[in-house]
Amino acid sequence: MTLMSLGLVRGLVGQLTGMVIGMAVAILVRLMLGMSAWSVEPVWVTGIAFGAIGFMVAIGAVHDWMQWIRGKKTPLRHGPPPGQPAWTRYFGVDYNHKVIGVQYGVTGLILLMLGGAFALIFRTELAQPGFQFLNPNTYNHVMSLHGWVALASILLGIGGIANYLVPLMIGADDMAFPRLNAFAYWINVPGIVVIALGGLYYGWDGGWTVYPPLSTIGSPGYQFVFWGIYLVGLSSILGAINLIVTTLTMRPKGMSLFRMPILVWAILATSLIQLTGTQLIGLSFLMLSFQRLMGMGFFDPNKGGNPVMYQHLFWFYSHPAVYIFVLPGLGVISEILPVFARKPLFGYRWIALSSLAIALVGFLVWGHHMFTSGYAPALRAPFMITTLLVAVPTGVKFFSWLGTMWGGKLTFPTPMLFVLGAISIFLIGGLSGPMLATTATDLHLHDSYFVVGHFHATIFGGFVFPFLAAVYFWYPKITGRMYNENLGKLHFWIMTPAFWVMSLGQMSMGVMGMRRRIADYDPNLGIQPIQMLVTIAGFAIAFSILLMIYNLMQSAEIGERAGANPWRARSPEWQIPSPPPEHSYPAPITVVGEPYDYGLPGAYVSMAAAAGDD
Amino acid sequence: MRHFIIVGVLTIVGTILMALLLKYSLPLPTEASTQALTVDRVFDVHIILVSFFFSLVMVFMLYSLVVFRRRQGDDRPGEHFEGNTALEIVWTVVPLLIVFGLMALGVTSLNKVTKAQDNEAVVQVQGFQWSWVFEYPDGVISPELVLAVDQPVRFEMTSKDVIHSFWVPEFRIKQDLVPGRTTVVRITPREEGEYKLRCAELCGLSHWSMLAPVRVVSQEEYDAWLSEKTAGEAPALAAVPAETTE
Repeated sequence: MTLMSLGLVRGLVGQLTGMVIGMAVAILVRLMLGMSAWSVEPVWVTGIAFGAIGFMVAIGAVHDWMQWIRGKKTPLRHGPPPGQPAWTRYFGVDYNHKVIGVQYGVTGLILLMLGGAFALIFRTELAQPGFQFLNPNTYNHVMSLHGWVALASILLGIGGIANYLVPLMIGADDMAFPRLNAFAYWINVPGIVVIALGGLYYGWDGGWTVYPPLSTIGSPGYQFVFWGIYLVGLSSILGAINLIVTTLTMRPKGMSLFRMPILVWAILATSLIQLTGTQLIGLSFLMLSFQRLMGMGFFDPNKGGNPVMYQHLFWFYSHPAVYIFVLPGLGVISEILPVFARKPLFGYRWIALSSLAIALVGFLVWGHHMFTSGYAPALRAPFMITTLLVAVPTGVKFFSWLGTMWGGKLTFPTPMLFVLGAISIFLIGGLSGPMLATTATDLHLHDSYFVVGHFHATIFGGFVFPFLAAVYFWYPKITGRMYNENLGKLHFWIMTPAFWVMSLGQMSMGVMGMRRRIADYDPNLGIQPIQMLVTIAGFAIAFSILLMIYNLMQSAEIGERAGANPWRARSPEWQIPSPPPEHSYPAPITVVGEPYDYGLPGAYVSMAAAAGDD
Repeated sequence: MRHFIIVGVLTIVGTILMALLLKYSLPLPTEASTQALTVDRVFDVHIILVSFFFSLVMVFMLYSLVVFRRRQGDDRPGEHFEGNTALEIVWTVVPLLIVFGLMALGVTSLNKVTKAQDNEAVVQVQGFQWSWVFEYPDGVISPELVLAVDQPVRFEMTSKDVIHSFWVPEFRIKQDLVPGRTTVVRITPREEGEYKLRCAELCGLSHWSMLAPVRVVSQEEYDAWLSEKTAGEAPALAAVPAETTE
């Protein structure tokens, strides 16, 4: 097995080659047009574009489609690459959704740790006033990188949950478009490489929101963010198409929409947002890039442009994006609670519809990020009103979870602990929302550390904790082995109190006057002890996650064999072996009961095809 | 049922404890503007609501974890109920009504803190990377923001380069400065003292230190300061005595 036989390595070589070719093309074109050969941004941007194409061609993500263009057929190949060790399939283009799900999930976890590491760097700096080892420039760079790397990790983690589980949960052999699925995973990698390259070599200082005019001047690193995120966004859109079509067309007999596992509803709502909203950030970043490259005056007041318009375009996606981030995790909570309460999910239909309601209303609230922006004053009240409305379907979920726990026979293995932790933290995050939704209070809190506390709590409660719950819950299914329960519990009991401290600390500092995105703060604000506490909490969280990584890696070797259904759950994936075979379901399944009828006689699914099927 | 009585009592106790905890751990700075008075009352309403809903959910959850935990050897399933339409309607409609109340409070408080006042003084604010300049009537330019207590001010603001934001935490209300347009914020200081204006929109390298001193002084002191600055700027005007008629 040579290095070049690994898809990832070929892809990276292809990206480098493409980048060099692209840069050469740009230089040649510039010379032909009588311009100077080198100009930093046009040459790099052309290189980035060719590099992305180079990666995807070299790794083989477009191979089958290219064959089809030539009129050749290509079988949907299954199984590890012939003549190679089985593990290599995870490093290349593989069409099996279970492989792609693991690729997404592991990449997401790596980025989560990288993004967290960036945070620890500036959290160490911020623990005390004064500059210890960062300077204002490096702080801005690390803070900005933290933002996008962490957000990319969320999108990938969601991709992992959705791609691994949705086909399994509907008894499908794979997704509707397996080749598109592989493409949608791999397009993230050149995007991440581009962001890393630009972020580390040039750096950019505009945070993740990259508002102009700041983002249309200064470091060329901005171009790397614009184009890197463009690629990551493409993955979102393509993945969403696949999930929507799969969910709507590939359910088995008897699985009406209201008989799907609830997580599938959550992913469906999420996919609808991804499919329709992501274009707006692509557009905003394209406009920023072209303003820089070609002097187009979209957001330049000296050319009749409007800086505030960027914020409208950006937030039109980026607010619904936060519902992309949390809806799957809230679906995981709904999916896991009944298993460990041994009773039905309370109000299944209301929960399913609340995900759609959140997705819809989520498109109407973006202006609450702009209360101070200087847009027409008359816009403030309508956005405040729509934003407050989102609390209602979210409340339905909380109360339904309580209804699911009430009267149950509760047990608390690690996945359940993380679900309960998620609920408590999403509660803190969610309840800090109305203070931001109400304009008068937001005018004090906007751009303060209170906002930082709010969104970290909602993101950890709505994504990170449920993602960890999902990892522990489905680990036995994916690997066939149990993780170490004691280590899992230790992870939870370190991470959860630490996160509570971090959330409350951040919100407290913000109320007291600490602004966000500042490299150093006024000691007179009296917040230094809280800063130190928040930093320590951050390190505790990081340590606990390392415990988990150790647990998962060690258990893969020596963990107890899990069997098909260690949790005695009802949904289809638990009725097949662990790990699932290459083709998960030998025969089409039939739904013969309700998904969450724990305790009632009768199963949810039958593993045999219904009578009369061929 | 007994369960609900216990949970009800615990929720009330929890609400009170949580409200105290939040008041302690979310300490707002001194109310140095009349706008702060309005804003802080809205905060108080939020604290009560947050405390109540936090306790409600956490009490039910923690109670369930204790009372409904599976006992050793009990392999029976949990109580079988799939939902309760009446309950669903209640917990959709009641939060909706609360949210309507918050909307009303939100709209009235917003109007109050942005309302134009009679006899507003106007100060022009220029923000730029990475400092502030304040322009008073008669061409007085100052790097320091000096205001007369109880005098409503309308700030007319613009930026020379990128987006900045005007924030004095003790005054509460913040407003962005946008290049190419003039934005407005209204503050009526009500407490003499020294404060700091802090840029609240990421604006590049020295965003962290883009501060300006703010002094709120008595009307007399303000008039004296202004006339002294005017004399410095335009000596001809110094001939006008600085007496004010009260």
